[in-house]
Amino acid sequence: MNFTYILEALPDLLSGLKMTLIVSFLAILLSCLIGVLGAILRTSGIKPLQYAVTAYVEFIRGTPYLVQIFFIFYGLPSLGLRFSIFWSGVIALTAWASAFQIENFRAGLAAVGSGMHDASASLGLKRWQHSVFVVLPLAARAALPSSMNTIVATVKNSAYLQAIGLVELTFVAVDRIAYDFRAIEMFASICVIYLICVFSISGLGYMVERRLSRPFGGR
Amino acid sequence: MTDTEIAVELSGVDKWFSILQVLHDVNLTVRRGEKVVVCGPSGSGKSTMIRCINYLEKHQKGRIVVNGTELTDNRKSIDLVRQNVGMVFQNFNLYPHLTVLENCTLAPRWVKKVSRKDAEAVALAYLERVRIPDKAHFYPSQLSGGQQQRAAIARSLCMNPKIMLFDEPTSALDPELVREVLDTMAQLATDGMTMVCVTHEMGFARQVADRVVFMDAGRIVETAPPEEFFSNPQEGRTRAFLNQILH
Repeated sequence: MNFTYILEALPDLLSGLKMTLIVSFLAILLSCLIGVLGAILRTSGIKPLQYAVTAYVEFIRGTPYLVQIFFIFYGLPSLGLRFSIFWSGVIALTAWASAFQIENFRAGLAAVGSGMHDASASLGLKRWQHSVFVVLPLAARAALPSSMNTIVATVKNSAYLQAIGLVELTFVAVDRIAYDFRAIEMFASICVIYLICVFSISGLGYMVERRLSRPFGGR
Repeated sequence: MTDTEIAVELSGVDKWFSILQVLHDVNLTVRRGEKVVVCGPSGSGKSTMIRCINYLEKHQKGRIVVNGTELTDNRKSIDLVRQNVGMVFQNFNLYPHLTVLENCTLAPRWVKKVSRKDAEAVALAYLERVRIPDKAHFYPSQLSGGQQQRAAIARSLCMNPKIMLFDEPTSALDPELVREVLDTMAQLATDGMTMVCVTHEMGFARQVADRVVFMDAGRIVETAPPEEFFSNPQEGRTRAFLNQILH
């Protein structure tokens, strides 16, 4: 292993990391929003919307992620929808992560017992007040652990976007290997970088989880 | 009896859960200030009946008039009734992510648009009354079951209800914690609150109730003042039930 080579490559790798983090951040943000919205629609009782959300989730879960990326980047332009590499990447990653976040938040909503509804109704709270002040905070807490898993997976899955030429961390490594044939140096380096990212995120998630679950227990 | 003396009136109420009929022609009138205890075996429809009084359950036939408002599926009538009816549940149903004080002030602030300061003052007064003022800033999980149930009673009282419904308020409590909740309820009764309590605490019924209602299989079988109800029950099913729970 040539460490001098790794040091030389580091600025390139870090600029790739920057792209990885930007794309991941956007996808995480958007997929959490879509996740909450989708979960609400899926439990709304409005049948056509429920079916639409379910169909979406099943489509994403039932098809390979790489195919979804190609579908968006190579397929959609022939339907007149053309996005840059960057936005294709963001859309693909968001689309994938959203399906899982919808499921996470749906489970979170299901974890809020019917007793909460009884309490709010008997106190005269409006439906929206009950949703905002009671259901959402409790559902978010219940959904947090699985939602953190999806967030971590979102960061890792940004690596697939090298396939459409997005210059993120994995792309930089693969690109350099094509010129310098230093495969072990590059892959070892990006593994460490990904690990640092993932541990930081899951550490952060664990802290939030502990903070929120204290002092009250389950429910 | 004039209309203004009637707090709750159920007449000819039927209710089904899909094909299962759980209430059969239920007729019950509760006067203002009256304390009614509802008892009966499991599955007899007593919880369902009191949940109909604030429309947590929807009845399919008959009339329910609460405080002069007939309950229909009209949102306004439901809101109006709920403003005057407080409810306490078997499992407390406190909001676990809010402190006791926040539990008590959420509805006054958002439903009655009371300022935070005023809502907190009222809440602290009621917490004082249920003897847990020191728990105001604790979360429900940090309280014992009895304290949680008293907090739930305080939360209901903060909305200044005219009628209180209790749905087996002591059934989820450890035996040694039942007393403190019953004492709180008895105190509320002394203060003149109209109360409908589903409970198996026959001592409480004897001490506090003006009338005891016995339900079985979705029907009101017998209604009598407690001394008569316990010493001289008229119906065979009532006698069988009392034999079971009093020994």
